[in-house]
Amino acid sequence: MLTIWFMLCVIFAAIAWFFVTFNVLVSLKIRVDNAWSQIDVQLKRRHDLIPNLVEAVKGYMAHEKDTLERVIKARTQAIDASSFKDKAQAENFLTQTLRSLFAVVERYPELKANQNVLKLQEELTSTENKIAFARQYYNDEAQRFNTKIQTVPSNIVAGMANMQSKVFFEIEDASQKEPPQVKF
Amino acid sequence: MAFSFIEIEKEKSRVIFFAFIFIILAYFFTAYLILLVAENFFNIYYLKGPRPLFFHPPVGHVYLVLVAAFLLAAIHWYFSTTNLIVKLCSLIGADPIDPKDTYHQYFRNIVDEVSVATGGRSITPMVIRSSYMNAFALEDFNGQAIIGVTEGLLARLNRAQIEAVVGHEAGHIASGDCLNTTVLCSLAEIYEAGLSRAGSGFQNTKGKNIALLISVFLVLAIMELLSRILRCFLSRERELRADAVSVRLTRDPLSLAEALMLITRNWRGEGATGDSIQSIFIVNPRLDELDEQEGIFPDLFSTHPPARKRIDILLSMAHLDAKTLEDNLKNFRRVSPVAKPEFKPDIPAPAAKRWLILDDNKNWGGPFSLEELRKTPGLYPTQWIRPEGEDQAKMMYQEPELKALFDRQVQGQGACPYCKVGLEEVHYEGAIILKCAYCAGAFAESDKISRILIRQDYLPSQEVVRLGNSIISSNKRSYFKTPEDKNLIWVIDCPKCKNKMRRQFYLYSYPIEIDRCLGCSGIWFDKFELEILQYIYENKKDFYQGSDIKNT
Repeated sequence: MLTIWFMLCVIFAAIAWFFVTFNVLVSLKIRVDNAWSQIDVQLKRRHDLIPNLVEAVKGYMAHEKDTLERVIKARTQAIDASSFKDKAQAENFLTQTLRSLFAVVERYPELKANQNVLKLQEELTSTENKIAFARQYYNDEAQRFNTKIQTVPSNIVAGMANMQSKVFFEIEDASQKEPPQVKF
Repeated sequence: MAFSFIEIEKEKSRVIFFAFIFIILAYFFTAYLILLVAENFFNIYYLKGPRPLFFHPPVGHVYLVLVAAFLLAAIHWYFSTTNLIVKLCSLIGADPIDPKDTYHQYFRNIVDEVSVATGGRSITPMVIRSSYMNAFALEDFNGQAIIGVTEGLLARLNRAQIEAVVGHEAGHIASGDCLNTTVLCSLAEIYEAGLSRAGSGFQNTKGKNIALLISVFLVLAIMELLSRILRCFLSRERELRADAVSVRLTRDPLSLAEALMLITRNWRGEGATGDSIQSIFIVNPRLDELDEQEGIFPDLFSTHPPARKRIDILLSMAHLDAKTLEDNLKNFRRVSPVAKPEFKPDIPAPAAKRWLILDDNKNWGGPFSLEELRKTPGLYPTQWIRPEGEDQAKMMYQEPELKALFDRQVQGQGACPYCKVGLEEVHYEGAIILKCAYCAGAFAESDKISRILIRQDYLPSQEVVRLGNSIISSNKRSYFKTPEDKNLIWVIDCPKCKNKMRRQFYLYSYPIEIDRCLGCSGIWFDKFELEILQYIYENKKDFYQGSDIKNT
């Protein structure tokens, strides 16, 4: 009699553990998806800020038309991209063009006196930081999720529920990994 | 010993959990002790017959008292936790950010960035209007979280360092101990208030009842001490953990180490806030020797771990040693987030510039100075004028000084008290002040002035330096050269609230004549006076000949 009760308890405990672990895995997965959409929010904000900055500096930087055009083209490309790979590439390219635009702005001291330009530059820098932080948060959550589904007790539940590991947000462009060459 | 930030975080969670359980138990223990003491006194003094040495109260009494204690704790809890954030913020002097101020916008962006890094938790930024350097975090039961810094910190740290400090505070919020600290600080306030009231009631009782009162008082004091111990015990570990979270969020241990080193070298708020509020700040506002020591006694009674220890842990993560950090910080110079001024303080006196006017008969009349044009009736903005010495003609509204003449000439709201033209809003050192385009006078509210004095973005012009030095070196008031009309006006109207303004020195130690509004405490500065005030504030060590009071 006692053994039957004991076995029932064990079975209930096992079932309870399954439920709890499954719920934990599902919550982590939803957090990862949420983190992914946060990146999109920041990317869209950047798309909206860029035209204003270009308008504000256009008057001062008459000779730097090609830099400005590259930024605008990169922005259009980023908005039009559809697949994940294209999007990631387009956004990385946009970051590069913005960086070269900021470097050029440094050469115009009158721009530094314009509060409007400084404010826009600050907003763009802040948005770049937010994109970086959103990616970092996504990677941290993906790491937590992947660890949970691959370590021993929970990988049983993960296997039963057919959960896949999440992909990390890595730098796709191989050229960004090389140190910059200094040529004189 | 190199800690990885993940290990530090794991270690600290267990400690905090057990310490918190202990606090709850202490509440019941207090009630029990009071019951024991009260029952024993009752027996020894009031009952006749054989007296036992120690009388244990019947179980029924114990239960009654425990229920009463629980009720009391519930009431205490309720009163401490309603309007938690409003109460504490008004105590430390924290205000919401000014959306038009450049530095505050910058700070709000930083808080938003850190909030994205924590996964999108909404955080409200606040600023304490003082020049000391410190930062705090608060949270209440509704989930509203606040991160605040002081004006001094905003003005003296660069972006990466402010971000590291905000990350530390976000660490407190994200790990949940911010709520505990906020509630404990609020609870402790009532304890201290209760103790002081018991202390004053003490003086009115006489005779045998004093013994009862003393014992109750002693028991309460012991319990308060114990709660202070627990508060301290929580705090020391929490700070190290929040440092770890800051590094996890920003991946930048070096900036946090720099920020801590800069904060601890400056005024951190000693004398500005109450004792029970220590725990919410990143660095203890009070200069407590106990903070820098290790051991059981400091661990119990100190609210923050030694700054040295915190910096060393961070530097080991950054692979740098303390000596190099100090050397780097000696040359530390922040890049200002505000633009260089769009107006120059040394504008040429308006009277020097003159224009020729084309009148209706197509004749060029003049040249007239601004003063004369102001008194001429019948001018209109699209009238053709030519500046003296130039060939190109233009319309009157295209000259900014002349355009100002056509701004609606009103008395009161937003008008220069001398020129009667509209004042315009300009950014100065990041804050918005009202300026007269004609006489270069400025109007600023008192809180904006404290921000302007703390921030040091603009270099003074030659004229300002000359006038400032003349005030510093003389013991009497300096007299400035003023336009003739001004001497006739003794009492001017406030541009903001239309009350009268009183002419006085800004402070006796800063003898600059300003006009202070009696209604809204805004201040009107004549040309240069604001810049001179800033210059003197930054160079005030010259006032104290031979003393080493340093200006940080």
